[in-house]
Amino acid sequence: MIPEIGYFSLVLAMGLSLLLCIFPLWGAYTGNLRLMRTAPSLAVGQCLLVLFSFGVLIYITLTDDFTVAYVAHHSSSTLPWYYKVTSTWGGHEGAILLWLVMQASWTALVAMMSKSLPWVLRARVLGVLGFLGVGFMLYTLWMSSPFERLLPYYPVEGRDLNPLLQDPGMIIHPPLLYMGYVGLSVSFSFAIAALLTGKLDNTWAKWSRPWTMAAWGFLTLGITIGSWWAYAELGWGGWWFWDPVENASLMPWLVATALLHSLAITEKRGVFKSWTVLLAIAAFSLCLLGTFIVRSGIIVSVHAFATDPDRGLFILSFLALVVGGSLALYGLRVSQVYSEGRYKLVSREVGLWVNNIFLVVATLIVLLGTLLPMIHKELGLGTISIGVPFFNQMFAILIVPFAILMGMAPMLRWKQNKLPPLAKKGVGILVATIVITSAWLFSSFDEISTLTYLATALAVWICIATVVDLVEKVSVHPSTAQGLKRLGMSYWAMVLGHVGIAFVIASVTLTSAYSVERSVVMKKGETATLNDYEYRFEGVNEIRGPNYGGHAGEVTVFKDGEYVTLLHAEKRLYDVGMQFMTEAAIDDGFYRDLYLALGESMGNGAWSLRIYHKPYVRWMWLGGILISLAGFIVLADKRYRRRKQTSVEHG
Amino acid sequence: MNKKFLGLVPLLIFVLLCVFLYQGLFGNPRELQTGRLGQTMPAFELPDLMDEQKRWTDQDLLGEVYLLNVWGTWCPTCIAELGYLTELREQGVRIIGLYYEQAYDPDFGDQFDINYLRTDVQQMLARAGDPYQFNILDLERTLALDLGVSGAPETFLVDKNGKIILHHTGDINPRVWRSKFAPAIQELQP
Repeated sequence: MIPEIGYFSLVLAMGLSLLLCIFPLWGAYTGNLRLMRTAPSLAVGQCLLVLFSFGVLIYITLTDDFTVAYVAHHSSSTLPWYYKVTSTWGGHEGAILLWLVMQASWTALVAMMSKSLPWVLRARVLGVLGFLGVGFMLYTLWMSSPFERLLPYYPVEGRDLNPLLQDPGMIIHPPLLYMGYVGLSVSFSFAIAALLTGKLDNTWAKWSRPWTMAAWGFLTLGITIGSWWAYAELGWGGWWFWDPVENASLMPWLVATALLHSLAITEKRGVFKSWTVLLAIAAFSLCLLGTFIVRSGIIVSVHAFATDPDRGLFILSFLALVVGGSLALYGLRVSQVYSEGRYKLVSREVGLWVNNIFLVVATLIVLLGTLLPMIHKELGLGTISIGVPFFNQMFAILIVPFAILMGMAPMLRWKQNKLPPLAKKGVGILVATIVITSAWLFSSFDEISTLTYLATALAVWICIATVVDLVEKVSVHPSTAQGLKRLGMSYWAMVLGHVGIAFVIASVTLTSAYSVERSVVMKKGETATLNDYEYRFEGVNEIRGPNYGGHAGEVTVFKDGEYVTLLHAEKRLYDVGMQFMTEAAIDDGFYRDLYLALGESMGNGAWSLRIYHKPYVRWMWLGGILISLAGFIVLADKRYRRRKQTSVEHG
Repeated sequence: MNKKFLGLVPLLIFVLLCVFLYQGLFGNPRELQTGRLGQTMPAFELPDLMDEQKRWTDQDLLGEVYLLNVWGTWCPTCIAELGYLTELREQGVRIIGLYYEQAYDPDFGDQFDINYLRTDVQQMLARAGDPYQFNILDLERTLALDLGVSGAPETFLVDKNGKIILHHTGDINPRVWRSKFAPAIQELQP
């Protein structure tokens, strides 16, 4: 009975979504204020029903109700309670319900936080969000309900959660990623509402900006944690593979990054309006496209999700309707948009415009690399595969001008800038970059390739330029304290974001260039050396967890004869699915990670082990966290917390 | 330039993309990955997994339709499909295993323990079902490379003249069998 209540609650929620889609949009069209005013309560009501339904799924998972197919397939009674909760989004149906939870929550949040918006705009934004809600709920109810029963024959024990997913990273990675994906639907709704209203002034950019920043912050954090999880959990020491599923989350991130910068210009200067709208549509469209790629099985990926052509067809139809419809609307309205501002070639406008070009080109590269093999085949040209080298090479080429610009662009002024003082500053920063990069690399590594040097220099360049700009902006004020106070949160967000990117560039470069690994076979007491570190194998113990057994290898690490750490690497065999899992042991450090994976028993007490030494790998996630902080810090900006104001300022 | 037309360019590109996505949805991306499809089995001479003295060549396999199943005890999906493959064997399907050892690294070849592997395989087959007529051991992965194997499990359907009819990546389950293998085998029967 309880699962049915969960299902019924979703049906009711979809009813409210449908009303949320119809009433406010109709009201805005006819100018009926009473209809428009229904939007907030419908949005909140829908959210409560969806939350209730999700609560039901968590409840039936915690109580081991294996009459429900989803629970039987993704949980088991021996699973620890927190992984039971995780299992509610470990499979396709539950993940889609989680998506709904996010979608409904964002919608309710927009409803509650948009009190100062003009009613027509507010009703349209919520109406569009309602429309998206209807689509996803229809999908859930119709072809991927997590409440379906396995009656009359149900198993006495569940099939357990995939051991790969039994990790703290999995507890937070999907919710964060979905927060980001779904959050971009808010930017999308603002764009569509603006197009419907026909008033593409900078009001909509102003309103859309904090929502976009928040969504982008979540997306960044989700991707960062996903990469950390791949590194820590998969036991092969890697962090990015250009897999279609990874690309599916990178594409919206790149476009959303472009959108953030473009929104800033549109808000401040009233230019690039139609371009910004197009980016807002594109960012969310790429989220939908990513979902389609992941859930339809159209492209072969190492992440094996539920693949089903019927589901794929539904998502494709929805994609066609949403994206096709909004692009058609865009095409009809864009010819009426005119830019107001004027600017010269050397100006912040142009700097941001070039940044947008780079980000969009990067997105197109990922999109082509992901879809080209399929298109190639459909055209009857045979099968090709586009691998890691293609992406790496393309990004290596793009990053050079992009990073140079990233350092200098914040110094540019709106409208126009004189070139000579800028060039003078550039030379100064270049000299500092060469000095610092050389000092850093030559003191840390024996061999340095030109490419490694160049790429590291880019990271250093960004950092120095950012600091120089910061110092300059502070020093125009009488005192440092006063100067720091005057810098807005958006400025600090920019600083964090750019420095974060510098960390990621440095980490990717140095880890790729200087990581070493070694496969060894050792008996108890034997030692192996890798990069000044000595690893002594202390033997293997049997281990027993709540739902797995296995072996744990202990390795003591010494450097120059001194004890560094004790590594504990596990090889687990999960009881229910009989699956092996490697739990790598990692000694993390600011400058390097020591990474150890336990291999097979070779007989006679000898075991194979794989040891990795990964310099600066942790900077990648540090950078990712800094970048996502940039997204959240803007929310603290006073400008976005003022309530009743727009009607006066913008009419 | 006509601004109205420019505004519609994104829509046109998107519609084109949708056409491809629609086609891709009903094409099968997993099937055409091997360049070997329609060609004959590559020539090889490899030892039996259980008996080093016994050696198999491509000539030994001719004369009867068979499945060549690439697998390993390290691969969870392979273990999962053993049960269904065993059912297929009982229905008279000839299944030959190509054992793909993951832990073995040619650079550390001398440490490899074949006896350990054999015990491991025997225990696994006793527990999960044994669908194989015999297993070929491809330690250097030469045959796997020639076939374009990218992981495990992968299964090839080969006709009695040694021609590769199908290449399936991923597990074989009743649905895959009904929709893919059964029709292909039907066609091979005169």
